[in-house]
Amino acid sequence: MQRNNRKALAALVIAGALALSACGGGGAAAPKKGEDKPVDSLKFYNDKGGWKDAFTQVGAASKKDVGVGMEPVGYSDSNTYTAFIRSSFRTKEKADLFTWHTGKELQDLVDQKLVAETTDQWTKAIADGNIPEQLKQYFTFGDKQYCVPLNAGYWVMYYNKAIFKKAGITQTPKTWAELTQVADKVKAAGVKPFYQTNILFSFVWFETLLAGKDPDLYDALAAGKAKYTDPGVVEVMNEWKKMIDAGYFSDPGAKTEPQAQLKNGDVAMINFGTWFSGNLNTLKMKAGTDYDFFVIPNVNPDLPKTSMIFETGPVCSAAASDHASTVKKWTDWWVTPQAQTAWANSRGDLSFNPKAEVKDPGLAQLNKDVNGYRLINRWFEATPVPVANKALEVFGAFVTKPGDPMPGLQKIQAEADAYWAKQK
Amino acid sequence: MSKVKTGFLVLLGLIWLAPVYLLIVNASKSVDGYDAKTVWKPAGFSLFANFGDAWSKAALGDTLVATTMYSVVAPVLAVLIGAAAGYAIVVLRLKRGFLWFVFIFGGTIFPLQMILMPLFSGYANSGLYDTRTGMIIVYTAISVPFSAFVMRNFFTGIARSVFEAAVVDGGGLFRIFRSIYLPMAGSALAAIFILQATFVWNDLLLGLTLSQSESVRPIMPALTGLQSTYGGAALPTVLAGGLLVSLPTVILFLAAQRFFSRGLALGQF
Amino acid sequence: MAPLFGLPAAGVVALLLYLPFLWTTYVSFTDYDGLASPVWSGLANYKAMFSDPDLIGALVNTLLWVAGMITLPVVLGLLVAVLTYGHKWGTWLRLPFLLPYAISGVAVGVIWGFVLQPDGALGQALGFFGLPGAHTGWLQSGPGNTLMMIVATTWQAAGVNALLFVVGLQSIPTEPLEAARLDGADGFKLFRYHLWPQLRAITTVVIGLSIVGSLKTFDVVWVMTQGGPGTSSETLALSMYKETFVLNDYGQGAAIALFLSLVTFAASVLYLRYQLGDAREQG
Repeated sequence: MQRNNRKALAALVIAGALALSACGGGGAAAPKKGEDKPVDSLKFYNDKGGWKDAFTQVGAASKKDVGVGMEPVGYSDSNTYTAFIRSSFRTKEKADLFTWHTGKELQDLVDQKLVAETTDQWTKAIADGNIPEQLKQYFTFGDKQYCVPLNAGYWVMYYNKAIFKKAGITQTPKTWAELTQVADKVKAAGVKPFYQTNILFSFVWFETLLAGKDPDLYDALAAGKAKYTDPGVVEVMNEWKKMIDAGYFSDPGAKTEPQAQLKNGDVAMINFGTWFSGNLNTLKMKAGTDYDFFVIPNVNPDLPKTSMIFETGPVCSAAASDHASTVKKWTDWWVTPQAQTAWANSRGDLSFNPKAEVKDPGLAQLNKDVNGYRLINRWFEATPVPVANKALEVFGAFVTKPGDPMPGLQKIQAEADAYWAKQK
Repeated sequence: MSKVKTGFLVLLGLIWLAPVYLLIVNASKSVDGYDAKTVWKPAGFSLFANFGDAWSKAALGDTLVATTMYSVVAPVLAVLIGAAAGYAIVVLRLKRGFLWFVFIFGGTIFPLQMILMPLFSGYANSGLYDTRTGMIIVYTAISVPFSAFVMRNFFTGIARSVFEAAVVDGGGLFRIFRSIYLPMAGSALAAIFILQATFVWNDLLLGLTLSQSESVRPIMPALTGLQSTYGGAALPTVLAGGLLVSLPTVILFLAAQRFFSRGLALGQF
Repeated sequence: MAPLFGLPAAGVVALLLYLPFLWTTYVSFTDYDGLASPVWSGLANYKAMFSDPDLIGALVNTLLWVAGMITLPVVLGLLVAVLTYGHKWGTWLRLPFLLPYAISGVAVGVIWGFVLQPDGALGQALGFFGLPGAHTGWLQSGPGNTLMMIVATTWQAAGVNALLFVVGLQSIPTEPLEAARLDGADGFKLFRYHLWPQLRAITTVVIGLSIVGSLKTFDVVWVMTQGGPGTSSETLALSMYKETFVLNDYGQGAAIALFLSLVTFAASVLYLRYQLGDAREQG
C-alpha cells in the first residue's frame, strides 16, 4: 500500500513540474509577430459590460460600411479585465481590439512592446479633422502614438430642471460666485445642492476645485513636479472642507445611484462625465426637459480659459496580433465621422470627433466648442496608480468625516515620493 | 411549549425574510418609480416587465444551458470524488489518512483571486480556455475539498461493523462503496450537491476569467454587466435580474427538502 | 486499493488548486507586474508587508471576521437545526434561513447596501418604530462597518450551517434517542447528553469551514465598502486583491496571499487535529 502511495505521489510531482513549466515559463520573450490573416470580424474586449448593446450596434455599422464586423466581449469587473488582458499577451488569446486606460497603464504596455503603434493613423486623422490635436499627447510615448481614442467624456454639471425652477433659479451660473448663489438657493428650497460619494468617485470635487483654481498646479501634481502637501493643494482641501461643512453635499455613504438621486430630487446637481446622459436616459429622463447641464465655471475667475476635465480611453491592439491588416482597416473606419456618429448616438453621448453628428443638442454644442477650453486630463487617469489608490482612500475618509487635511495629504505624498523615486 | 418553539421560529424566519421582501418589492417597482426613501413600501408590480428587461439586456438566455450544465455535472462529480476520498480515508483506513485528508481539504484554503491568473495561463496554454470541459474541471476541483470534508466526517459516524459484515458477505471494495455507503449517505450527498450547485451557479470570478464566448460563459458574468457606473441598468432591473437568476437555486432548495425531512420529534422543549 | 479511491480527489485538487498556488508562492519572492518577467527579490515583499501599518489594521479586521463567523452563524444554525428537527413543519420553518444562500451575490450585495446605508431600509425601519439610530451611517466607520457586514454574511451563512447540522442530526440513530426520551430525558437534557456529543463530527465541519471562509472573506466587503472608508474595513483578503489587481504589484499580493493561506492552514489544521484526534471512528 505504501509503495503505491509513493508512486502516486511521485507521478503527481512530475506531472506538476511539467505543467508548471508549461504555464509559468512563457513570460520571458516578447511574443513573436504572427502571420497576418484577414478576417471578417474582430473581437473587441472591453471592461464596459454595460455598453454591450452600443458595441453591437457599432459592429453592425462597421460590417455594413467596411465589411468587417465587431463582436464585443464584455467584462463587468474592471480589475479582473485588466489582469486578464495583461496575462493574455503571453497566450494565443491576445486581443485584436481592447479598451484600456491612458497614463501609466498604457505606458507599461508600450514599454514592453505589447501594443501596436498607430502614428500614421493619428497623423492622417488629425489632418482630416477627425481627432482634436489636444488629445494626441495622451496617446504619445517617445515620439510615436499608440492606440486610437475610444471615447471622450467631458465633465460638466448636470442639474434637475424641476428643482431649479422650484428654487427660483432662472439662469445657469457662469461664474463660481453665481454657482455658490445657486447652491444657496437650492439649499433654501430644502434640497442638497451637490452629489458626492465616498466610493470610487471621491476624487471628483478635488479635481474640480484644483483644476478650476490652478490648472498648472494640477498638471504639475499629476506629473510629480508638485507635492500634495504644497500650500495650493492644502488650500483646495480646506475649501472643500468648508463646502462640506456648509452642507452643500449629499450624504457620501448613500448607495442609491446618482441618476436615481438626481431624478428623485435628493440632489440638485451632479458633477459627472457626459456619459452620464446615458444613465439618466435609462430612467426615462429627457434631456432639456427633465435635466440639462452647464459647463462648470472656474473657481478662480482670472484664468484665461475655462478648465474642462475630460476623460478619454484608448482602443488598442496587441502588437503581435494575427489580424493586423484587418485591425487597421477597422480602426481607420472607427475615427471617421460616420462611425463616430453611430457610436455617440448609440450611447447618447458625444464623440471625440468634432465632426460627428450628435443627436443631443446640448452635447453637440459641447462637442463643437471643445477647442475653446483648457482640457485637463481626469485625475484618475493622470495620477499614477499607487498614488491614486492611496488618495482615494484618503478622499473617501475625508468626504465622510472632513477634518484636518494634512495627515491625509502627507500619506498621499509619501506614496507619491516612493513612486516618483522609482521612476528616476 | 412547542407553541413557543414554533412561534420563535416563525418570528425569526420573518426577520430573516425581510431582505428578501425588500428584494422582491423593489424589483417590482417600475424603472422610473423607484425612490430610495420608501424602500419598504410596495409600489406597483412591474416585476415581469423588469424580468424581461434584465433577460434581454444581459442576454441571459445564451448562458443558461452552459450554467445548468456546470451546476449539475461538476457538483455530481465532486460529490462522488469526495465520497470516494472519504471512504478511502475512513472506511478503508488509508495509510496516513489524516495527511491525505489535510491535503485534499487544503485545496480550499487558497484565496480564489490568487490562483485565477496562473489558472488562466495554464488554461490558455493547454487549450482548455473558453471550453465547457475546462469550466467543468475547475468547478469540480473547487467543490471537491468541501465534499471530501463532509463525507469523511459523515463516514466516521457509521459503525465499523457495517464494513466488516459487508466484507464477510463477500463483495469488492467498490461494490461496498456503491451499494452500502453511498445510499446511506443520502442526506449528506444531497446537502453537498445543493450547496455546491448553488456555489457554481453563483460563481462570478472563474467564469469571467476562464471563458469569454457566450455559449461557455456562465450566468453571473452576464448579469453583473447590468450593474455598472458606465451605463448599466436602473436599480429595479438589476434587482429583477438578480432575483431571476436566483430562481433555479431557490427551486433546487425547495425540491431537495424531502432529503432533510426525516427526523425524530424531540418532544417538549 | 485504497489509494485509488483517494486519488481522483487528491489529483484534481493538486493540479487545479495547488499548482497555480505554487506559481503564486514563487511570485511572492519576486517583483512582478503581470507584464514583464518576474524578477527575483527574495524577502523584499515580506519585509514590506510586515512594516506596513495598514496591514495591522487589516489583520485586526480579519480576526474580527473569524471571531464573528465561528460564533454567530454557528450558534444560529445549530438553534434552527435543533428546533426544526422532527418538527411537523420543520422543512418549511427552515426555508427562510436557506433562501438567502440561494440568492445571487449581486442581489445580496445590492440589498444589504441599501439596508445599511444612512436612512436606508434599516434606518427607515428603526425610525418607523421610534427606535434610536435611524440616521446612523452603519458602514461609515470601523469597526461598526465590519460588524454589520458580519451580520449580512450571517444572514446567508446561518442557513448553510443549519442544513449541515440537520445532516448531522439525521445520522444519529433514533432508537437510543427514543429510549432516552422514554426514560424521561427531555428538551435541553436530551440535547446536551444525547444529541450534542453525536454532533461533534458535523460541528467540526461547520466550524472548520467557518474558519476558512471567514479568513477568505472578500466579496461582501468589496461590494459594500471596498475596504473603506479609508481602510477601516479592509481585511487581508482585500489587501491581497488590491495589491495584485489594482496596483499591479503581483509580488506583494502573492506575499499577502501566502501569508493568509499559511494562517488559514495552520488554524484549520490545529483545529482539526484537536477535534479529530480523539474522535476516531466510533463503534
